[in-house]
Amino acid sequence: MSSVYDVVVIGAGPAGLAAATVAARHALATILFDAQVQPGGQIYRAPTMDPAMRVAIPGDDHARGKARIEAFRQSGATYVPDASVWAAGNRDDGLHELAVSYGLPGARNVRSVLARAVIVATGALERAFPIPGWTLSGVIAAGSAQGLLRPSDVGGRRIVLAGTGPLLRLIAARYLDAGVAIDALLDTTPRGRGWHSLSDAWDFARSSYLGRSAALLRSIKKRVRIIKHVTALAAHGHSRLESVQFDAAGGTHALSADFLLLHQGVVPDINFGSAFGYAHRWDDAQACFHPVVDAWGGSTLPGVFVAGDAAGIAGEEAAHARGELAALAVANALGRIDAKARDATAETPRLALRRALRGRALLDAMVRPTDEFRLPKGGTIVCRCEGVTTEQVVAAIKAGAPGPNQIKAFLRCGMGPCQGRYCGLIVTELVARERKIAPAEAGYFRLRWPAKPISLNELAALQGSPEAERAVVRE
Amino acid sequence: MKSFEVAVIGGGLVGSAIAFGLRSLGSRLALLDEGDVAHRAARGNFGLIWVQGKGMGLAPYGAWTQRSAREWPRLAGELLREVGIDVALVQPGGFHVCLTQDELSQRVLSLTALQAQPGFKQYEVEVLDRDSLAARLPAIGPEVAGGTYCSLDGHCNPLKLLRAFHAALAKAGCNILSSHGVTSITPQQRSFTLNTARGAIATEKVVIASGLGSVTLAPMVGLAAPVRPNKGQIIALERIPRFLTMPLDTIRQTDEGTVLIGDSQQDCGYDIALGMDVLATMAARALRVFPALATASVVRAWAALRVMSADGFPIYEQSLAHPGAFVATCHSGVTLAAVHAYALAPAVAAGALPESFKPFVASRLAVPVASAMGIDTKR
Repeated sequence: MSSVYDVVVIGAGPAGLAAATVAARHALATILFDAQVQPGGQIYRAPTMDPAMRVAIPGDDHARGKARIEAFRQSGATYVPDASVWAAGNRDDGLHELAVSYGLPGARNVRSVLARAVIVATGALERAFPIPGWTLSGVIAAGSAQGLLRPSDVGGRRIVLAGTGPLLRLIAARYLDAGVAIDALLDTTPRGRGWHSLSDAWDFARSSYLGRSAALLRSIKKRVRIIKHVTALAAHGHSRLESVQFDAAGGTHALSADFLLLHQGVVPDINFGSAFGYAHRWDDAQACFHPVVDAWGGSTLPGVFVAGDAAGIAGEEAAHARGELAALAVANALGRIDAKARDATAETPRLALRRALRGRALLDAMVRPTDEFRLPKGGTIVCRCEGVTTEQVVAAIKAGAPGPNQIKAFLRCGMGPCQGRYCGLIVTELVARERKIAPAEAGYFRLRWPAKPISLNELAALQGSPEAERAVVRE
Repeated sequence: MKSFEVAVIGGGLVGSAIAFGLRSLGSRLALLDEGDVAHRAARGNFGLIWVQGKGMGLAPYGAWTQRSAREWPRLAGELLREVGIDVALVQPGGFHVCLTQDELSQRVLSLTALQAQPGFKQYEVEVLDRDSLAARLPAIGPEVAGGTYCSLDGHCNPLKLLRAFHAALAKAGCNILSSHGVTSITPQQRSFTLNTARGAIATEKVVIASGLGSVTLAPMVGLAAPVRPNKGQIIALERIPRFLTMPLDTIRQTDEGTVLIGDSQQDCGYDIALGMDVLATMAARALRVFPALATASVVRAWAALRVMSADGFPIYEQSLAHPGAFVATCHSGVTLAAVHAYALAPAVAAGALPESFKPFVASRLAVPVASAMGIDTKR
C-alpha cells in the first residue's frame, strides 16, 4: 500500500463497487476497504458466498451483482478485504487520514492511510425492534439471522417472523425455499397503509417495487400463514424464547416459538459519518437520520462523499448510481475530467437514479414502522449493551437531561460496544416525544472513534510523533 | 421574569458541586445548563481524586487539594444517603509509574521541589523501585522502572457524580434549567439579569462556573476568567475482569470494570478532533505499563477540553464592582468537588470569600508566573 491515495472507498456493496470502479477507470489511485472476505456487500453476498441460500427472486440481481464485482476486479482499484476503517480525520493540508486494520484475526495489520477524497459506502443496518422481550435468547434480527441461522440449524424448530417491509418477505422466501418451515409471519404493517397520493401511486405502479413485492408475496403466501395488522407484539420466556404474544383481529393470541425473527426495515449506518463530523438531518418519512449531501453525494466535509444506503435507504440500483456519481465528482475535483465531461457521463447514472427512486415515497410510507414499534414503553430494554430500560431513559429526560448525550452520560445508554447503533434512534425519538420537540432538535449521540472495536495493540501500532510524546509523557 | 436568590451558571461538575452546597435554598436556587452538546469538560473527566504532585508554583493549591480529598468521603456519603447513587469513591492511594530510570529521577526531583516550597502543606509520597512497585502492582511490564505512591489519591465515577449532583438538586427542589445557555449578564442595582437562550432570569447572586464560557461572561460583572481550552484525550477499553484495584494517574479500572487510559495535554484551541498519533502513543505507553491489556478491545476514544488558566490553578473571586457576582473555574472538577460544595458554596451563601481564597484571584495571572514552567497541571 502506498501512503497517499486519490480516493479511499469504504464498503464493497453496490455503491462502493460502482464508486471504486468508476474512480479507477478515471486513473484515480483508488483503494477500497471492506469488512467482508468477498466483495458484494449484503446484497450481492449470496452469489459468491452462499449458494445454499440462493433463491429465485424476481429480477436479475445475482447476475448483475456478479458482473459488477467482475468489473470492479478488472478496474485496477486496490481491494482490501477483512478490513475495518475505524477512524478518520481531516488534516490541515486538506488530506484525509484514515486508520485501518486489516488481515486475519490475531495477525491484524494497522495502517494510517492518506486520501485526497473519501467515499463512504457503509450501507445500512437493521432498525432496532424494541418490543418486550426482544433481548431474550432466540429473538433475532431477521437480517442478521440469515447469516446466523443456517437451514440446518433451525430444521424442526418453530420459527415466527414478525415485522414489516419488503426484506421481511424476502427473508421468508429464502427460508421457505431452503426447506425451512415458518409457523407464521406476523405483519405489523397497520391497516390503511397504501396509496397515499395519486402521484405516489402512479410512480409506484411504474416502479420495479410493485412487480417485485407482488411476486414475492405470491411466492410465500401459499407456504406460510400471514397474520395482518399485528399490534402489541411481545416475546415471552424464561431463559430463552418460549412464546410470541400479539393482538390481531380484535383478540390476543400466543404462538409457541423457538425463534422469533424481527425486522422492520433498515436505516443508514451513520456512526462512521457522525464520528467523522459531517452533518446529518432527520428524515421524517423514513424516521431516521441521513447525511446532508449534494447531488453528487458530497457531504458537508470537503472531499468526503456518501453513496448508497449510507446516504439514505433507496436500494441497490440507486446505490450503484450514487456510487458512480460520487466517483465522477471526485474525478472532476481532482482534475481528471472537466465539468462538461463529468455532467455528460453522469447522465446515465442520473437517469438510473431517477428510475430507482420512482415509487420510493409510497414504499417509505407503507413500510414506516408505527410509533408503537419505534417507541417502547415501561420496562422494555432500549440499550441492549448496557441493559437500560425505557423507564430509565424517560425518567432521565423528566429529570432534565436535554438530549441523548446527557442520557448517555447519566445512564451509559449507548456506551456499549455497539456504540448506540441500535438504541440511537430510539433515544432520539423518546427525547422528542417526552420534550414535545422535533427529532431533529432532540439530536443524536455524539459518536466516538473507533467506529468498530479494535484491540489496544492495534491502536498502539499506529505511528506516534514527537508532539504526541510531549502531549502524553509527564514528569 | 423568573427570579432566584442564587443562580449558578454551568451544569458541569464545578457548577453542580457549588449548587449542591447551596441546595438548602431549594426553589430559590437555579442551576443554568447549556443544551445537549455543550463542551462539557465534565464528560472528559478521568475521574481521579488526586493530590500527588499538585501545587508547584502555588503552595496553597496543594493544601486546597488535600482538604478536598479529605472531605470527599463526606460528599460521597451524603449523595448516597440523599439520592441513593453510589459514586464509587475509593481512596486506596494512587501510583505514578515511570518507564525509565530517567523518568523516575525526574519525578523524584519535581516532587522534592514541590514539597520544598515555602508554606507547602506536606504529605508523604513513597518512591518505589521496580521490585517494591511490582509487589503492589503485579501486572506491570518488564520495562517499568519504578514509580511513586501517595496514600491520599483515589478515584470515583465522574458520570455518576454529575448525575448524583443533579438528582440531589432536583430532590431538594432546586431548579435545573437545561438549554439555558447564558448569553449575557446585566448588573442591576442589587441584582443581576441573566439573558439566556430561553428568556431572561433575575437573581440576587450569580456564580459563573461555565468553564470556557466564563471567559466572556466574567467581564460583564467586573470579573476576569482568563482560561483557555486544553485538549485531553481518553481511551476506554471494554469491561475486563478486575486487575487493578488502585488507580494510576494515567490508567484506572472503573467500578464498572472498564479500563480508562488517559490523558494527554495539548494546547490547540477548540479543536476536539482525535489525534491518532497521540492515541497511539497513549496506547503504546499503557501497554508498556500493563502488557496484558494488548488484546483488550478499545470501545471508545474521545477528546475533551480542559479549562486551564495560564498557571493551571483555579480562579475563585467575588466582583468588587458588583458584589454578589462570583466566578469559579478550574480543571479539577472531580478532585475539588468536595471543597466546592463545603467551602466555596457556604462562602457564596455568606456573601464573602474568606482570606483563604485570596491566592486564587485572577489578578495573580496579570504578572508573568515564572514558576508555571514545567509544572504538573494534571487535573
